[in-house]
Amino acid sequence: MSKNLEQKIMSQIKTGKIKLRSKYIFLAEKLGLNSALVLTVILAVLFFSLVLFYIRATDNLEYLSFGKDGLLAFLESFPYLLVVSFILFLFLAGFIITKTNWSYKKPFKYFAVSLIVFVLIVGTVVAWTDISERIEEQAFGNHALGKFFRPFINRGIESRNRGMTGKIYEIDSDYLILETPRGFEKISLLKLLCPDKSINCQDQFEIGQFIIAVGKREDNIFIADKIQIASEERFPPMIRRGIHRQFSPFLNNYLFDNHSTNTLPLPLHLLNFDEPTNKCLAQCFQDKIHPRECFEKCVE
Amino acid sequence: MKTSKLTDEQLVKIIREKDKELYSEIIKRYQTKLSHYLKKFIYDSDELEDVLQMVFIKSYRNLYGFDIHKKFSSWIYRIAHNEAINHLKKNSKGQISLEEVEYKIIDEKINLHEEIDRNLLKEKIDKLLTNVNLKYREPLILFYFEQKSYQEISDILRIPKSTVGTFIKRGKEILLNLCQKI
Repeated sequence: MSKNLEQKIMSQIKTGKIKLRSKYIFLAEKLGLNSALVLTVILAVLFFSLVLFYIRATDNLEYLSFGKDGLLAFLESFPYLLVVSFILFLFLAGFIITKTNWSYKKPFKYFAVSLIVFVLIVGTVVAWTDISERIEEQAFGNHALGKFFRPFINRGIESRNRGMTGKIYEIDSDYLILETPRGFEKISLLKLLCPDKSINCQDQFEIGQFIIAVGKREDNIFIADKIQIASEERFPPMIRRGIHRQFSPFLNNYLFDNHSTNTLPLPLHLLNFDEPTNKCLAQCFQDKIHPRECFEKCVE
Repeated sequence: MKTSKLTDEQLVKIIREKDKELYSEIIKRYQTKLSHYLKKFIYDSDELEDVLQMVFIKSYRNLYGFDIHKKFSSWIYRIAHNEAINHLKKNSKGQISLEEVEYKIIDEKINLHEEIDRNLLKEKIDKLLTNVNLKYREPLILFYFEQKSYQEISDILRIPKSTVGTFIKRGKEILLNLCQKI
């Protein structure tokens, strides 16, 4: 058998039937694996930092200050997609480690623990730099990289059914008009539970105040059960920046001055009311009437 | 230059860069060793030859994948191990047949004779070893019959060095338990 086997293999080598695989294939495999590992670890770090950033910069945790009334709003605004993506990248990094040439030298649990500790520490550090804020800025801008992150970040400023945050633009006896990252929104005070029964609930509000509310959305109106007034420092920065992005083009115009002759048309996408109200407001703005008067006229 | 004086790693470097025909020297060096190793998993001699041929072909094709700063023998044993596992997945019938020298190893190093009569051991040990789970059987075979070090076994089986020791210890315990049941 011995001579025979040697001859069989060598004749196949000599005739070129069996060829050496190119060294570049092995190089590419090695580089590909290492690059994939580095990339997934970076993404795991980045997504963990974004989870922390999201929790710090959005209304998510604020709802817990309402106690059990804020639980649904907290769960609704939780960054599930970010957390799931972070876990997936962590698992992927672990899986790639098992495919490397060196991973067998130590039990996998050492690599798993090291990986988790590394990602958590670096992710926490990154969360306190301005990287996450830049990603947010790009996500809401027109950058290509930002578009990738938009689905993950956008949840921070999306409309919620159980919670609402915004800046008071207009106060009426039974409703507030809020500036939110999505535009103007109406918040009904009809079911508001006032801790202090001696005063009218709406008397505690002032134009320009930041509020956080829990309640229930019915069509285009948010019916508040409880409202907290937040200082500008406490108010979730991502929501504050969202409001600024939406309303900044009008900051020096009629939205905030009483009557200005130099008015910009108010974009209709900022109106989140029912259809007749939206139409009425659009017409009113076209007539260059001050928005506050328009709200008084059109919002019921 | 005498090829017999070259280390495996030096030989691989020359095969890759200059002279492919020197691969015959690799075959000469490893044919008996690998055949001996594979016999512990593949019981049919024709199948054994097929698997052995596949090991040498795969080893040749992937020579550039070998890091010449590492040990070639561990690398080619790794390929043989993979091929043996693939073979066992398709065909698990049969029984190990040990050689005389291996009975001696079992007798002297594994110390089973305290548990079982020497003649009976010789009669039954092949079957008992076949019944040891592959996970423990492989480190036992590599350590006792192929005389590989813990480090080499770790490189061949891709398990941590500390686990090699655990598996060998556990393998011996299983073998002893099986002996006691006879």
